[in-house]
Amino acid sequence: MNTPASNDDDLRCAEYALGVLDAQERAALELDASRDLALQNRLDAWQQRLAPLSEDTRPIAPPERVWARIRSDLGFAAAQPSAARQRRFWDSLRVWRWLTVGTSVAALVLLGAVVTLTQQVPRAPTTSTASHGYLVSTIARTDGSVQWSATIDLQRARLVVTPTTHAAIRADRATELWLVPPHAKPIALGVFPSDRPATLTLSTETIAHFSEQAVLAVSEEPPGGSPTGAPTGPVLATGNMHAI
Amino acid sequence: MTDTTSGSAEDPDAYFQDDVEAQRRERLNRMLQSAATGDERAFAELYRATSARVFGVIVRMIQDRGEAEDILQEVYVTAWRRADSFDPARGSAVTWLLTVGRNRTIDRLRQHRDELFTEYDATEVADESPTPAVMVQSSEERRRLEDCLDLLEPQQKTAIREAFFTGATYNELAQRLAVPLGTMKSWIRRSLMQLKACLAR
Repeated sequence: MNTPASNDDDLRCAEYALGVLDAQERAALELDASRDLALQNRLDAWQQRLAPLSEDTRPIAPPERVWARIRSDLGFAAAQPSAARQRRFWDSLRVWRWLTVGTSVAALVLLGAVVTLTQQVPRAPTTSTASHGYLVSTIARTDGSVQWSATIDLQRARLVVTPTTHAAIRADRATELWLVPPHAKPIALGVFPSDRPATLTLSTETIAHFSEQAVLAVSEEPPGGSPTGAPTGPVLATGNMHAI
Repeated sequence: MTDTTSGSAEDPDAYFQDDVEAQRRERLNRMLQSAATGDERAFAELYRATSARVFGVIVRMIQDRGEAEDILQEVYVTAWRRADSFDPARGSAVTWLLTVGRNRTIDRLRQHRDELFTEYDATEVADESPTPAVMVQSSEERRRLEDCLDLLEPQQKTAIREAFFTGATYNELAQRLAVPLGTMKSWIRRSLMQLKACLAR
């Protein structure tokens, strides 16, 4: 199917995706692609090929006003996002209440902090790095089911991880928690019991890598944790982090 | 979990990274799909998880924070309105957002290319490829693309990177890298076709 015409089309798509065409050439290709599915597919394929280059660019947290403007453009009801936020806090409150059964003093201190925070005015989502305060994460399996929730107290350098449903883990395997900063190696946070709340102490060095751009992940490891310092078993669940 | 087809299977770190990345990608895809059904909360989550990456790419290209904010706003407004056209089989939500972001930025650059072009400082933006140490921690797709870029002549690789990260036209690239326009065109075209062949292997 490599006729000269199709080669030309392919090249135009490649040039468009790379970004070297001028305004007229871009407009012409967009118009053609909107009427020709095969051409649109070629263009998509080229955009896919080159897209990974974007990883070389350092993420920059946009100011909060951008989100406020997007919301107002889209006519999102002002109350809607706050309601959503409130609900999320409720989810964690339920968990936290249950957590008190574990009678961990650290957890109780954190519980107090979360309750206080829920009374504050909810903010728009932020992507800025949290250098103090709290981060929360719901750690879910690939199918979306939430397996654990974690709260990180950055100031006190502590992390509390709590199961939300029963985790089916083989008796001879352990669960280990990892912090995965963007495009960096996973940092071991520690082995934790999969079926009850636990508090992990974090080093100052580790704390510095926590941000909303990082991800928490749980892997299955031999008892006592990964022998190599890097994860060795399958990833059971992952979760994004949000500042609260 | 015995996926030995993955190129990084021998490196447990990279393997784990790919796995985490795949799970994260899937969740972001689901958020965008939920946004298509009018789920504002999912959309807010998607914004929170992806906007810094999209913003970083826009800022790097346009080098003006105010304009970059306007473009970011347009990108997500478009994303909400056209979320139903997102098809995860054709690429991830992040790639979709980044592509919309790049295309909007290039359109904006073309609108007032003249003003921006005179301000451009070629020595400032021309950048280096990531170091091998950084590359080890990149996605599998990124590593693969780098392997193919490494097969190009160094000047041609520079031209491709410069084009991608600045959104410059052939004319601008030729001036910046001080080569005749015809040479620049043939460098880029040949490189693109070489990349395609290499990636198809």
